[in-house]
Amino acid sequence: MPAHSLIVARKEIVDHLRDRRTLASSALYTLMGPLFVMLVSFSDQAGGKPVVLLSMMSVFALVSAFTGGMAVAADITAGERERRSLVPLFLTSIARRDVVFGKWLATCAFALGALALNIAGVAAVMALRAPASLAANALPLASWVLLGLAPLACFAAALELLASAACRTTKEAHTWLTFVVFVPMLVGMFLVFHPISANGWLALPVIGQQLVVERALGGAPVPLLQGIVLALATAAATIPALAGAVAILSRDDVLAG
Amino acid sequence: MVEVRNLRKRFGPVAAVDGVSFAALDGQITGLLGENGAGKTTTLAMIGGVLKPDDGSIRIDGADTRSSQDGRRELGALLDHKTLYSRLTARENIRYFGELQGLPAADLDERVSSTLSLLGLDGLADRRAGGFSQGERMKVALGRAVVHGPRNLLLDEPTNGLDIPAVRALRGWLRGMRDRGICILFSSHVLEDVLALCDRIVIISKGRVVADGAADAICRHADCATLEDAFVRLTAPGSVQPCLPTA
Repeated sequence: MPAHSLIVARKEIVDHLRDRRTLASSALYTLMGPLFVMLVSFSDQAGGKPVVLLSMMSVFALVSAFTGGMAVAADITAGERERRSLVPLFLTSIARRDVVFGKWLATCAFALGALALNIAGVAAVMALRAPASLAANALPLASWVLLGLAPLACFAAALELLASAACRTTKEAHTWLTFVVFVPMLVGMFLVFHPISANGWLALPVIGQQLVVERALGGAPVPLLQGIVLALATAAATIPALAGAVAILSRDDVLAG
Repeated sequence: MVEVRNLRKRFGPVAAVDGVSFAALDGQITGLLGENGAGKTTTLAMIGGVLKPDDGSIRIDGADTRSSQDGRRELGALLDHKTLYSRLTARENIRYFGELQGLPAADLDERVSSTLSLLGLDGLADRRAGGFSQGERMKVALGRAVVHGPRNLLLDEPTNGLDIPAVRALRGWLRGMRDRGICILFSSHVLEDVLALCDRIVIISKGRVVADGAADAICRHADCATLEDAFVRLTAPGSVQPCLPTA
């Protein structure tokens, strides 16, 4: 029942908004990218090259789509298994899939919030250091955020829930989530220095998002249809991740924590 | 009423529950007694819906849980997982579970407030649960199990970690619920609690029921003066026939 999922999501959001330490840590992590771009913008090498700054921004934004919901995902699955607070939830008549869907909605909320903070930070840096470039690229960048990064943040939330659900402690979850976050970093850095031109890659999550922004910043048009296909492909990739999390939390060993 | 018939559950090569059958009646406190690893928690977890039985049936107020969720809505359960959400208040912890159990929004606040009063939590209602004592945590955990007014209650080792005043308060509260016609199934390995509270006792050993009846009947069957001696005798393999109710 969707209503149950919304109840779970609301509780998780209220609960984690009160975790100020983790919120502050996530915010600092998210703002590291814009701060780094700001520092680089003062360098002699990159200072006069807005496209370099925007390329760096794209990698950091890609990573922030993954890091924004990481702490929450770890806490509401592996953390709850460790604290043994999942079982009381499963003793109610709510279905496991509704629990997982609600937790995913909450993780998405934090992931999208972190992404918004990251984008706002970069926009502020660009407005300060390269306002003409920002104005020229505003529309493609906005499209990229809406059709590319936002679905990616939701896919990342699902992936992080899946990885965390398989872990019995928060520490174990954070170890595995480090690898999950490493993937977009690796992809982003690789594509900055070794661009791919084939269109087929545009439909793949992570790679597609990076390619779209590279093309947009390079002045090449990105058809709306391709953006929508990428958004749908990313959304579709979310489904098996969530189904996996439901399967894991339906196992008997969840009783043991 | 909670009825289980021929319940079985294996974890790999281990038969944790091996053909358990009993009925817990309305207006009675039925004690599930057994040594550590006997299968008590596994049995309660299956009744509560956390584990799926490999075989057997569970009926709650006549509804088979394999085909209908109706029975589960009449069940409140407290397994040995009493962790609260520490950043939420006592009221928010209980309210959350009231919402999940389908309490209508119009009734929710009133039901939560009356549950808090029933458990003597009025003074703590709006404090975050992170600083609560064991007894206070137990009360909030009980509150979230009963906020929706279930007719059947499962409790797994509810007195663990409680001090004497808290245990006495809990016993009084359970007697009150029983007198209101609630079916209470209460598992413990503490004989004192079982003797103080239970109208009927089901003794489980190595996944099987070895006794089912009132305490004095079990003692007579085992030819022992005390329930403790009867427990030891009945759970020793092959020493005496199980004490089971006649059909």
